[in-house]
Amino acid sequence: MKTSRTTLLSTAAALLLLGSAAQAADDKIIIGGAMSLTGVQAPLDTPGVKGAEVAVKYLNDNGGVLGKQIEFINIDGKSDPVTVGNVAVELIDKGAQLIMAPCDFDFGSPAGREAQEAGIVGISTCASDPLYSSWSLGDKQFTLSMWNTTMGAVAADFAAKEKGWKTAYVVTDQFIAYTKSLSKYFVEQFKADGGEVILEDTYTNGDNNFSAQIARLQALGKKPDVIFLSSYGQDIGAIIRALREVGYDAPVLGGDAYDDPAMHEALGEKFGNNVYFVTHTWMGPEAHPDMPKFIDLYTKMHGEAPDTSFVSTGWDTIMLMADAIKAAGSTDGAAVAKALEDGQFKLLTGDLDYGTAEEGHVPNKAAVVLELKGGKPTFVGWRKPESIPAP
Amino acid sequence: MTFTVQFLIDVLSLGGAYALMALGLVIVYGILKLVNFAYGELIMVAGYAMFLMGGSGLPWLVMAGVAVIMAVIAGIATDYVAFRPVRAKSVTAVLITSFAFSTLLQNAALLFISPRPRPVPLPDIFSQTVTIFGAITPVRNLITIVAAIVLLALFAWLMRRTVLGIAMRAAATNFTMARMLGVPANLIITSAFAISGFLAGVVGLLWIGRIGTVVPGIGLEPLLVAFIATVIGGMRSMTGAVIGGFLLALIDTTLNYTLSQELLKFRDAFTFSLVILILLWRPDGLIKGPASGQRT
Repeated sequence: MKTSRTTLLSTAAALLLLGSAAQAADDKIIIGGAMSLTGVQAPLDTPGVKGAEVAVKYLNDNGGVLGKQIEFINIDGKSDPVTVGNVAVELIDKGAQLIMAPCDFDFGSPAGREAQEAGIVGISTCASDPLYSSWSLGDKQFTLSMWNTTMGAVAADFAAKEKGWKTAYVVTDQFIAYTKSLSKYFVEQFKADGGEVILEDTYTNGDNNFSAQIARLQALGKKPDVIFLSSYGQDIGAIIRALREVGYDAPVLGGDAYDDPAMHEALGEKFGNNVYFVTHTWMGPEAHPDMPKFIDLYTKMHGEAPDTSFVSTGWDTIMLMADAIKAAGSTDGAAVAKALEDGQFKLLTGDLDYGTAEEGHVPNKAAVVLELKGGKPTFVGWRKPESIPAP
Repeated sequence: MTFTVQFLIDVLSLGGAYALMALGLVIVYGILKLVNFAYGELIMVAGYAMFLMGGSGLPWLVMAGVAVIMAVIAGIATDYVAFRPVRAKSVTAVLITSFAFSTLLQNAALLFISPRPRPVPLPDIFSQTVTIFGAITPVRNLITIVAAIVLLALFAWLMRRTVLGIAMRAAATNFTMARMLGVPANLIITSAFAISGFLAGVVGLLWIGRIGTVVPGIGLEPLLVAFIATVIGGMRSMTGAVIGGFLLALIDTTLNYTLSQELLKFRDAFTFSLVILILLWRPDGLIKGPASGQRT
C-alpha cells in the first residue's frame, strides 16, 4: 500500500509541476534542444547550439515572437540516440513547444519521433540524409539542411558540367548513413551527366591507413580527373594527405563534412589546394547580406568569432521557427508545420522551400561550393541543381 | 617486388604503432592486473600539448619532447588520482575510477579547448615520401618503424638489464613475494605508469602524425587496438603484446589488400572473427606469460 501511495503522491506532484510549466508557457515560447554537447556528435551540434543562442537573444532583444519572449533550453543528448529521445521527452514535459533536433539522421531522429508523438514541430539543424523526412518521421518533422541528393548532385554537376572532369575515383567511408548516401547520389548524378567512375573503393573510419586503397588505385594505371571522397571527421584530411603525398594531385571533391577549419589548417599551404566541397553556407557577405551582422552578434555574445559555418545552422533553425510561428500565429504543431510547408524562407544557409508532407518535406535548397586554396577556403558560389536523383 | 615492399612497409609501420600502444597498456596490466581505461587519454594529452604549443615557434623536436613529458605526467597522475586511492579495495572500484578519470580528461578537453578538431604542428619530414624499390612510401611510415624498433629494443634492455626492470618483472610475476623481498610497491607502480605514459606520448605523436588533428575522443581507437592486441598476444606477457600488435596489423592490412569491395565494408567483422578464432585456439592469448594471477 505504501508504494502505491507514494506513486500517487508523485503523480500528483508531477501533474502539479506540469500544470505550472504549461502556465508559465503562456507568456513565453519554449524551444527545446536535444543537441549533443559531448561525444562524437558534439563537433556538429555545439556550434548549432551557440548559433541558436545568438538567434534567441536577437529575437528577444527585438520584442520576441508574437509578443512573447523565447526561451531556449538545451539538454545534452550525449551523442546517444536513446538519450536524445529521452531528452526530447523531458523537454516536452518542461513545456517545449518546438524541438531542435541534432544534426544527423542517426542521432537526430529520436528527437524528431518524440516531437511527432507530442504533436509538435521538430527541425534538425543539419541532418542531410534523405531518411530525415516526413516519410520516416511524420508530418511535423523537417530538416534545415539540403538532402544528400542535392549535395551529391551539386558536386556531380560542378565536376562534370562546370569543370568538365570526365573520370572520377570515388571513396566511400562506411561510417554512417550520411557518408554512404552522399557517394551514392554523387555517382548517380555523375553518370547521368555523362561521367565515368573508374574505381569505387571503401574505407573504414578511424583506420588512418589508406595504403591499400592507394595500391588499388595505382594498379589501375590511370589517373582520375577528380577524386570524390565521402568521409567524416579527421579522416578526410588524413586521406587527402595520403593521396597527395604519393602524387595524386587531381581535384578532391566532397560534402559538408569538409567544412572544418581544423582540417583546412592541418592540410596547410602544401596540401590544402585544389579541394572543393559542397556545404551549407559561407561565412562572408557573398553568401548572404546579413552574414556580417550575424558574425558580429555571435562574436559579441560568445567573445570569439565563429570557428565553423555550422553556427549558422543553429541561427537559421531558430529564425525559421520564428518565421513559421509568426506566419501560423501560434505554436500549434499542425499550424506551424503548414506554415513551413507553405512558406519560402531566405536564410543564411540559402533560400529554402519545403515540399509537402507527401513529398517527404524535401528541402528545396541551394548549396554553396567552396574551394581550398593554400589551406584557406574561398567562396565559389551558390549552386542549385536542375534535377536531383530520387532519394 | 614493388607490391611486396609496399605491403611489408605497411604491415611493419602499422604494426610498430600498434605494438607500442599495446605495450603501454600491458605494462600496467602486468603489474596491477587492471586495465587502465584512461590510457587513450594519455595520447590525447600528448596531442593537445602539441596543439597548445603550435603557435609558439619552438623547434618541433622540443615541442614533441614536451608533449611526451606531458603524457608521462598524465600517466603518473592516473596512478595518483585513479589507482592509488582505491588500489587495495575492489577491482570494480578501480575500473570505475579509471573510466571516471578518462571521462574527466576528455570532458576537460571538450570544455576548455573545443569539441571540434584542432590542428597539430607536424615537421615537413612527416609529409615527405621516398621511393623504395618502386614503392612510394611516406617517410613517417619509416619513422614509425624505426621508432618502434628503437623503443622496443630500449624497453627490452630496460626490463632485462636494469634494477628497475628486474623489479618490475618480479612484481609482475608475484607482487606479494616481490614486496616481501624489499621491492617498493608504489615506486614500481608509478614507474609502470610513467613508462606507459612515455609510450603513449611517442605513439600519440606517430598516430596523430598520420591524422594531423586532435579531438577529445582521439584515444578511443588506440585504446581499442591496444586492448585487442594484448588479448590476442596474452594479457600477461609483454612479448605477447608486441606480437599481438604486429599480428593485428598483419590481419588488418591483409584484409585491406585482399577483400573485394563488397566484403571490405565488413572488414572489422572479419578481423574480429579471426580474433575469436585465435582465442578459441589459445584462450590465454598466444604467449602465456608468467604464471600468476593474483591481484594485489
